[in-house]
Amino acid sequence: MTRTMRTQTNAQAHREPTDDLGGLATSFADIGARLWHLFISMRTGLALMLGLAALGLIGTLLAQADPALQGDRQAYAAWLESVRPRYGGWTGVLDALGLFTIFSSIWFRGIIVLLATSVLACSANRAPHLWRLAVHPRTNVGESFFAHAPLSASIASPTDPDVALAEVRAAFRARHFRTIVSRDGDTLHLYADRFRWGPFGTVIAHLSLILILAGALIGTAWGFRNNGLAVPVGSRVEVGYGTGLSIEAKSFTDSYYTNGSPSDFTSDLVLYRDGAQVAAQTIRVNEPLRAGDVSVYQSFYGAAAVMKVADPTGMVVFDRGVPLEWTSRDGKHRVGQFILPDAGLTAYVIGVASGEVDPQIKPGQMRIEVYASGSEGSLIASESVSQGRPTKIAGLDFTFVRERQFTGLIVARDPGAVLVWIGASLLVFGISLVFLFPSRRAWALIRRRPNGSSIQIGAIVRHEITFQSDFKRLVDEVELALTGPSGA
Amino acid sequence: MLNMSEYGLISGIISIGLALGCYVLATVLARLARRQTVMAGAGAGGGTIAIGQRGASNLAAYGTLLVYLGLVFISASLVFRTIASGRGPFANMYEFSVAFAWGILVVYASFERRYKQRALGLVALPIALALLLYAMTIPSAIDPLVPALQNNLLLSAHVAVAIVAYGTFSISFAAAILHLIQGENGRRSLPSRELLDEISYKAVVIGFPFLTLTIALGAVWADLAWGTYWSWDPKETASLVTWLIYGSYLHARVIRGWRGKRATWFLVLGFGATLFTYFGNLFFGGLHSYSGLS
Ligand code: HEM
Repeated sequence: MTRTMRTQTNAQAHREPTDDLGGLATSFADIGARLWHLFISMRTGLALMLGLAALGLIGTLLAQADPALQGDRQAYAAWLESVRPRYGGWTGVLDALGLFTIFSSIWFRGIIVLLATSVLACSANRAPHLWRLAVHPRTNVGESFFAHAPLSASIASPTDPDVALAEVRAAFRARHFRTIVSRDGDTLHLYADRFRWGPFGTVIAHLSLILILAGALIGTAWGFRNNGLAVPVGSRVEVGYGTGLSIEAKSFTDSYYTNGSPSDFTSDLVLYRDGAQVAAQTIRVNEPLRAGDVSVYQSFYGAAAVMKVADPTGMVVFDRGVPLEWTSRDGKHRVGQFILPDAGLTAYVIGVASGEVDPQIKPGQMRIEVYASGSEGSLIASESVSQGRPTKIAGLDFTFVRERQFTGLIVARDPGAVLVWIGASLLVFGISLVFLFPSRRAWALIRRRPNGSSIQIGAIVRHEITFQSDFKRLVDEVELALTGPSGA
Repeated sequence: MLNMSEYGLISGIISIGLALGCYVLATVLARLARRQTVMAGAGAGGGTIAIGQRGASNLAAYGTLLVYLGLVFISASLVFRTIASGRGPFANMYEFSVAFAWGILVVYASFERRYKQRALGLVALPIALALLLYAMTIPSAIDPLVPALQNNLLLSAHVAVAIVAYGTFSISFAAAILHLIQGENGRRSLPSRELLDEISYKAVVIGFPFLTLTIALGAVWADLAWGTYWSWDPKETASLVTWLIYGSYLHARVIRGWRGKRATWFLVLGFGATLFTYFGNLFFGGLHSYSGLS
């Protein structure tokens, strides 16, 4: 039925273009109609879904650059070099096609947009039809329906049509069908349906996809995400992004099983907004801190150097932990950085990675390199400093106070997430609705005959053969009730 | 407890292996009997044919019992392991594999009860058996959980739901394979194409919502542990690909003329994607690298 109708409209879309004066308007209308038919076509939908699946497959098979690298040409180029040995001469081609960042590529975005359009078009096309079927179903059908119905049967009953109708109706009701009777002179029509709302599950499922995409879009546009906020224990760090938030780490604990694998990472955090405490919590993996729409997650950890810097007058201009959050390219050093805005200087703190040795940086020492701030900043001075001993570098007194840990946090705000959760719930709900409550519709036509009445019953099934046996049983039941044990 | 679990697994493997043997033998016997009927007509040889057929159906019935028995053993194995580890048996490749096989067997047993088509078992049981044997070859030690996995409720729900989905997809794959083997006019001694089509569809109808739920629960968990509901982690992406393929299948079969063979190929593709997602841990790396094999 609906399926046949859909394919017919598809065929009609390929009309010949007209060339009269109204041709331009018509051809716009024609293009519109063609587009519409293209988007509601199941084949289009199928092609888009498979296209998306193909991109996803490429995304799992091909190395993907961290999205964080994409804003940074240099870092991305370095990443590209790191995969060049694997992909050889193809590296440039794959890169030009955007396949190393496939989930933000033009292909991916294009398919998502087309898929969303198609889903919307299909829903708009189908919802009114489903509504009609559910609310104003056709309650009487003619003879020819029964000749073509996927399931049909006819029964000759010795009884009056009304008695026959009552029996048929009772059989459907016993199966929890809704029944509607109409009368046309001596002819009786029965319409029966079950789970007529079930097909709306498809509409819910389709629209929930749009909701999920909208949520993802909103999150990208108005959310933020810092995957690497390193907070040294005992220090307070600004979150930024206009939140006015800062995070202090009171402590960090990493625990291990006897076999050496990690068992737990916890951070005691205090969250401040504009200087006032707004939350305090111990977070761990799987237990983030949520404050309003901002969430703070435990992610990584490492060593920090507590540094103190004083100017020639003895005033302390810096006193905080500096997370040594980067590893040098050769893997031998851990590096952190801090800025002395008043002096216009940027200082790097360099420590030796565990298990490595560097004759320049002895145990208990950090190397300090001071640069002029700015992109062209040149090295002004560098010195190895021993713990607890103030050392003059670039006119300032640098003290490496001691080593502490830092906790690495993810801080994120995603205003679209709530839509994603609603969408995901509706998606599961909608899909379950379609499948748990498959709609079934049946009709009966009862006529008066000289020796009683004739009954025709027919049903439309969507997919199942299982309904066939139930239908047969129903027919047998009706027949038995009306004619008594047949053949006996 | 761990020993008990191991014994349960071995007994399960033996039972399923024997069940498969019964099914294969029963099929062969039934075939021979049919061929003899054709050759001998209604005349001589009727006795042996009757014996052949009775033997076949007896064997098949024993096969079914053995499937149930195997299921009991494997369930026991999983329960013992749960007791021993104090968490759902879903945290490393060994446990996934046994659970996956369990899922296949449960779904198979219920489909066999409903549709009475043991031919499905000829495809489904070898898959389950292969997974169980694979489990025997990989480390089964109970390692403590890394912090990201320490969420008993989500771990159990996410994987348990996935197991149901994978189990049903395996059955739809079994039906798809039979469908493709089945000749144009249903001459072979296999279920009719219509029935196989329905079995596949019914299995996907269960599996698809479960896969959707698996992915949704995964997103909830990722949001808790990694601070984002979606990060295009390879395993995540692979499960999305699987989901899209089964979604395509559902749509393909309502296109006129696509139901049947064409739609069936989607099921083969979908099961390929399922296996890819499942074994993905072994070579993807990424956030889901919990296989315990590296
Ligand atoms: C990822 C994307 C999609 C998902 C998850 C999805 C989901 C579903 C589900 C679960 C059903 C019920 C299937 C059944 O009853 O067997 C369905 C049916 C349907 N879908 Fe989609 N869909 C998607 C994309 C599309 C697109 C792009 C179109 C438009 C071309 C579309 C058009 C339809 C139609 C018309 C039906 C009703 C089929 C029928 O029973 O006659 N869907 N969809």
